[in-house]
Amino acid sequence: MLFQTAPAATTSYMIAGYVVIFGGLALYLISLVVRRNNLKQDLEILAEEQGTNDATDQKS
Amino acid sequence: MQAKPRLLTILDIVCVVLMIIATGMVFLYAPEEAVMGNVQRVFYFHVSSAWVGMLSFLVAAVAGIAFLRTARMKWDVVGLASVEIGMVFSFIAVIMGSIWARPIWNTWWTWDPRLTTVTIMLLIYAAYLMLRAGIDDPNRRARFGAVYAIIGVLSVPLTFFSARLFRTIHPVVIGTNQPGSEGAFDMTPRMLQTFMFSLFVFTLLYADLLWHRVRLGELANKVEQLKMKVMG
Repeated sequence: MLFQTAPAATTSYMIAGYVVIFGGLALYLISLVVRRNNLKQDLEILAEEQGTNDATDQKS
Repeated sequence: MQAKPRLLTILDIVCVVLMIIATGMVFLYAPEEAVMGNVQRVFYFHVSSAWVGMLSFLVAAVAGIAFLRTARMKWDVVGLASVEIGMVFSFIAVIMGSIWARPIWNTWWTWDPRLTTVTIMLLIYAAYLMLRAGIDDPNRRARFGAVYAIIGVLSVPLTFFSARLFRTIHPVVIGTNQPGSEGAFDMTPRMLQTFMFSLFVFTLLYADLLWHRVRLGELANKVEQLKMKVMG
């Protein structure tokens, strides 16, 4: 770079860098949403099951 | 399940808006660096990601201390949430750094002190997640996690100061560069403003993500407790 007169042509590397940050953040956000939805489903199923167990206990 | 707090929704919107402004500043406001060209723009979000990574691990250690003092599970949730976010941002910072290094150092990776210490830091926290996954008892898991987070945080100052203490080619932003550092540059006022703004936005983004992840952790604990109740 001793006799360099113009900036190096490195735009493609810059684009790759920003794809990584935005892609990485998007993936993490998606993982948060997916995990939240799965836990909500689990919670509903477990609450239902607990309700059934409680009703059985009362009958007996 | 608790409804999403209004403040969290506001924080989400503020983060999105500020992130758009920060991206605009990186591409439109900050000038192109004279030697490195456009790849230097990676620096703004690379350093901000690395900062959030280190901040996360510090918060996890503080949460670990708080858990050991109070035995409140909420602190365990905060610790785990913070480590997970720290892993994501540190990993992003490493990949971005590697992309920057290719045209500047002429290599994707070198076992430089900074790169080595950051790899050790990432491995330490990957082991934290594995350790937690291997313990079934929630109280024991929280206690082990807290102690591990407190010991693991020693890798953070080691990583931060590695570029200042050891002979390295990794440039430093604050402080004096080592004689052999490659890719160092003097920031113009616009570059400095963009850099400081990016740091601020990423810190806010960390707070927002931490809040979301803590809510997720609380929900996971609730499911775990209910599962034990139903099974037992």
